[in-house]
Amino acid sequence: MIERIIQFSLRNRLLVTVFALLVMAAGYYTYTKLPVDAFPDVSPNLVQVFTVTEGLAPEEIEKFVTYPVEVAMTGLPGVEKVRSVSNFGLSVVNVYFEDNMDVYFARQLVGERLQEAREQIPEGFGEPELGPISTGMGLVLFYYLNDTKGEHSLEELRTIQDWLVKFHLQTVPGVTEVLGIGGYEKQFHVVVHPEELLRFDVTLGEVIERIRANNLNVGAQFIEKNAEEFVVRSVGLATNRDDLRSVVVKTEDGRSVFLSDLADVEIGGAIRRGVQTRNGAGEVVSGMVIKLFGTNSSTVIASVEERLRKINDILPDGVEIVPYYEQKSLVQGAVRTVTSALVQGIVLVSLVLLVFMGGLRPSFVVAISIPFSVLFAFLLMGRAGISANLMSFGGLAIAIGMMVDGTIVMVENIDRMLRTAKPDEPRMQVIARACREVGRPILFAISIIIIVFLPLFTLQGVEGKTFRPLAYTVSFAMLGSLIFALALAPMLGSVFMRAPKRKSVPGIKSRADAGESAIVRMLLRPYRPLLRFFIAHRWIAVAVSLGLLAVGAVLFPRLGSEFTPKLKEGTIVVRLTMAPSISLTESTRSTLIVERRLLAIPEVREVVTRIGRGEVGAHADPINSAEIYVLLHPPAEWRTAESQEDIENIIREELGNIPGVLANLTQPIEMTVDELLEGIRAELAIKLFGEDLDILRTQAERIAAAVRDVRGAADIQVDQVGGAPQLLVKIDRKAIARYGINVADVQAVVHAAIGGEVAGQIFEGVRRFDILVRYEPRARETAEAIGHILINGPDGLKVPLDELAEIEEIIGPRQIKREDNQRFITVQCNVIGRDIGTFVEEAQRVIDEQVDLPPGYLVTWGGQFRLQQEANKRLRVVVPFTLLAVFLLLFSSFQSLKNAVLILLNIPLALVGGVAALWLSGQNLSVPASVGFIALFGIALENGMVLVTYLNQLVKEGVPIDQASVRGACLRLRPVLMTALTTALGLIPLLLATGMGSEVQKPLATVVVGGLVTSTVLTLLVIPAIYAWFAPRKPVALD
Amino acid sequence: MTDRYKQFALSLILTASINLFGASGVLCVLGSPRIAAAQQAQSDGPGHDDHEHENDNGEHAEHSAPDDHGAPDDHGATDDHGAVRLTQAEMDEFGVKIATAGPGVILNTLELPGEVVPNADRLAHIVPRFPGIAKEVRARIGDYVKKGQVLAVIESDESLAPFEVRTLISGTIIAKHITLGEAASRDRDAFVIADLSSVWVDVTVYQRDLNIVKVGQSAQVLIGHDVAHGTSRISYITPIVDEHTRTATARLVLTNKESLWRPGMFVTARVTVGEAEVPVAVPGTALQMFEGRTVVFVETDEGLIPQPVTLGRHNETTYEVLSGLPPGIRYVSKGGFTLKAELEKEAFGDGHAH
Repeated sequence: MIERIIQFSLRNRLLVTVFALLVMAAGYYTYTKLPVDAFPDVSPNLVQVFTVTEGLAPEEIEKFVTYPVEVAMTGLPGVEKVRSVSNFGLSVVNVYFEDNMDVYFARQLVGERLQEAREQIPEGFGEPELGPISTGMGLVLFYYLNDTKGEHSLEELRTIQDWLVKFHLQTVPGVTEVLGIGGYEKQFHVVVHPEELLRFDVTLGEVIERIRANNLNVGAQFIEKNAEEFVVRSVGLATNRDDLRSVVVKTEDGRSVFLSDLADVEIGGAIRRGVQTRNGAGEVVSGMVIKLFGTNSSTVIASVEERLRKINDILPDGVEIVPYYEQKSLVQGAVRTVTSALVQGIVLVSLVLLVFMGGLRPSFVVAISIPFSVLFAFLLMGRAGISANLMSFGGLAIAIGMMVDGTIVMVENIDRMLRTAKPDEPRMQVIARACREVGRPILFAISIIIIVFLPLFTLQGVEGKTFRPLAYTVSFAMLGSLIFALALAPMLGSVFMRAPKRKSVPGIKSRADAGESAIVRMLLRPYRPLLRFFIAHRWIAVAVSLGLLAVGAVLFPRLGSEFTPKLKEGTIVVRLTMAPSISLTESTRSTLIVERRLLAIPEVREVVTRIGRGEVGAHADPINSAEIYVLLHPPAEWRTAESQEDIENIIREELGNIPGVLANLTQPIEMTVDELLEGIRAELAIKLFGEDLDILRTQAERIAAAVRDVRGAADIQVDQVGGAPQLLVKIDRKAIARYGINVADVQAVVHAAIGGEVAGQIFEGVRRFDILVRYEPRARETAEAIGHILINGPDGLKVPLDELAEIEEIIGPRQIKREDNQRFITVQCNVIGRDIGTFVEEAQRVIDEQVDLPPGYLVTWGGQFRLQQEANKRLRVVVPFTLLAVFLLLFSSFQSLKNAVLILLNIPLALVGGVAALWLSGQNLSVPASVGFIALFGIALENGMVLVTYLNQLVKEGVPIDQASVRGACLRLRPVLMTALTTALGLIPLLLATGMGSEVQKPLATVVVGGLVTSTVLTLLVIPAIYAWFAPRKPVALD
Repeated sequence: MTDRYKQFALSLILTASINLFGASGVLCVLGSPRIAAAQQAQSDGPGHDDHEHENDNGEHAEHSAPDDHGAPDDHGATDDHGAVRLTQAEMDEFGVKIATAGPGVILNTLELPGEVVPNADRLAHIVPRFPGIAKEVRARIGDYVKKGQVLAVIESDESLAPFEVRTLISGTIIAKHITLGEAASRDRDAFVIADLSSVWVDVTVYQRDLNIVKVGQSAQVLIGHDVAHGTSRISYITPIVDEHTRTATARLVLTNKESLWRPGMFVTARVTVGEAEVPVAVPGTALQMFEGRTVVFVETDEGLIPQPVTLGRHNETTYEVLSGLPPGIRYVSKGGFTLKAELEKEAFGDGHAH
């Protein structure tokens, strides 16, 4: 098979060239079309359903909105779980789908079921809507409107944002949504004076009805006139405040009572649940651009910026759009980090080739394998839908050194054969022979590299999403390099490589060294005696490797350990959490104080904060949470701080002690993704499911108390579900019965008088603004005033509200969380200093003993430990399976158990180097580091194979084992060193990189580089030394 | 033979080490990073905030636990006993104001709708003595007439003699039902004359307020929007409530020298239903709900601590403190929310509603 390929490639050189060029062209084309992101998108596959119901408390939201939506979502195909949060005025239902589900299909399913839910939601309780078609990485650009002249009110600015900026931005291809926040949405306020209602004997309901009845346009078909058609249009829309003021509410004795007699008509701001502030100075109006799922971040951002420039031109004088967060810089930074690593890697690898090959032509053939493999990988990335990002490009950077390996072996063999072949043998035949000789080992070696990446594909969740692109690109590139080595390298070799002119080089001692490049000759000088020594004293070799292993075993437990190092996004976000009962005014005040403190840090140029939520779609934060984007001066102007970490520390110090405000540092994407994952960060999450919120809370506290006493428990925390004060209007049914008033009559007035009722809209062109009818503030702002609101009964009866209802202040739930159609509360906990499995057992027992749950209440155990257990279980199968597969491959390659074991010996010694390198550089054992180990296995095995294959060959040829060991090792010094060096040098740029995203690649590179050192030493010294024990049985002597 | 044996032993050891070292190493790394992360977080201890996500408030989460007193706590301004320490600068920044507890007056008022009506005690309905035809009408509606002034001349049907109709009081003609040539009868008022120098304000008193609205209480009368007001006292409350509206009527008598009050006007009466001098009165801004109780933050050596109080009478802005706040103690009169939030801070660590 391999021989046929090689033969074919040598015979049809033109065809193969055309094929190669086609692949490369297609690869390049795909590359230009690849979506570019900063990181792999780790957002879960979910569809969000938002329902806004202004003014409704969490309990009502849950009952009337969340529940119907949730129920409708059950039983959809591919749904993993349904989670919901019912907040004040907002219901968010997250429908999590399996990862492989198409997002549009999932949305379609949810959309269909939403229709059912809509029918179940009572009239006027809001319309459920699907969230934007985007992910946690979708928030690509935030901007605010800068009113340089200070001429515009916040309403005006918000109107500019909503009807000008947003309008133009939404049509940019790739933008799925533009959400505004800050300022006030313009509204026409009809501020009703209740005493005037009494005076003119009008009810609030009548006022609303009259406004509605006096604000409409109709069409009345057409009339014919002189053979022409005239469309009849009757215009009666109110267009301004005066139109509203002159609405007649009542006519008595021919005298009209106008709306202006009863109420003031003003332009005001809508009720809001979010504010945007800047620089501690005050409010601004801002917006965020959300990118469509699957689009190319960099193109979308570029077109948004382009459009922003155009919009700036048409904005009113003195108003400008200022972007304050752009994912662009992040994407660019990440791409720059990996591309520069890629380019530097290519340069370094080429240098190694030049030095070792000692000739331009073979180096050229090998070097071409890099672009080919990379472009081939692009081609497959396009097919597999993998975006260009830090991890996928990182995979290519890792693979750079490895993708030349196959070709190096191939070309090196051709080179050597050409040198040593008899002069009369046809060149093509020599090349074919050389290729055949190494074809099989190359196939197996590269297959092994691909196979060792298998465990990465089985990673799940965030880790899986982060590292799978890397595993994919490495595999793709290796596949490309395999194709190149087998199909193209022979052809290129035959075109470019010539047998060297034989000339005697002075100073060459042995025939074997002939033709080796100068550097190899230099290395051979100390290598050969050293090797001889080890072969003579095999036990020393064994002792050395065992010693190394011991070092590794000592160092290994000393390594710290962490999850994936945090990707630095280059933007600091300070997240503030304030008391759950806080008012928006107070949280704005506190935030401004924090902003001023931040601004006092000399490195901070600007701070922009979002408090709560704006237009629904991206955030569902309550008003007690604020996110401050801290913009820094360029590093050159920093005075007190050296690095971003310094600034972060200064910020922590500065904000560590703000009364009533909790500050945490985070990053934009991290924050959004965390929100979507809704994950529990603690290891252990005890979830208590049940009906009654009070019981849930008290039982959860009991569970927490019980678990607290279990050894190893730490950081126990019960979900805060309460803490939101409510003014509860409890209608007294007996009282309303006495007066003959319906509940609905009371509710309608309570709703409209206190909360306000929208009575139609005012159109200004296509811009539409709500007309909000509401009592004047004085008449609705205190419990007393609310108690005095008069309810109209039959026959003009007027009864104050507090005669009909009890008004009390209570502390209600802040939010109600549900999962799987049930309310739940979480108790989070970490476990320190003991095995989590036994901890869970003990905790379970303690809870059973001490906490007596009422019927219908259920405890489940989850959290990170569950995920870890699952991951471990999977890996316990996958890793041995991978090793087995590798072993089988080795076995089938060598047809020898002993050879296979010998080659597998490379793995532990390679590990030692990796561990030592991590320890020396003070890095932790992390997921990227273990990915590095995986890559290392592949390379170590490959090196072993190259050597052992040749040793076997020599033995088969009848060379005595010891002699074969020395000769083989010396001959293979060049390819082994070359493959090791190319791989190591290919990674050096990643190792030294400091750019954005380098923190993820660094541990990986460290492990591989460190491991290569030990594994190469082993391959070159120990394997030949102990080869004798593992050599195939000596063939019966031929002579 | 020894060679064979060595060979075998070696391969066994090394393969075993591969499996143990290699596989378990990878397992270890891939499987359990979070445990270690958590350990690390723990060893960092409180005070360091650098593990933003591991909730660093775990160690503060249970202040109520009695065994928690030894917990190191250099985080925030809270100490173990629930006291908050703030510097003067911080108090200024967050608008925390301190006042000294002392006596105050609590004025309770009630705003009730009312209507200006003529003073029925100063009203005259003028009817002709005899039926007849109006020969002369000398007064027009709205005219001010003096007592004894002739308003109309009527020719009696019986005697066919003209007689004069005179007003019985000085006042303004507020109704007139007589026209020249019209047949006037004794059944109908020819003129209604009201002395508007004083008017009544009929105030609607709802059932629930009947026990607090008393005769003699003073009241301000406002013509909507606080435009103008007069002051008077409640002179009378209807002893029965209206069968239809279920309300009683309280009456205020207003002098009306400047003719400001016109009958028919709709007004609001702000009745002072209670006035009490109390030993300790605090503004409503001093009160906070904390752990289900009403508290006032007071100044102690340890800092500002929440002091549960019982409240007595109150109005919209001022509250009487019955117990918990001795006179002379310094307390937080404004900005208590910041202190409450600081005390609750450890609890709302999970505040990011997700």
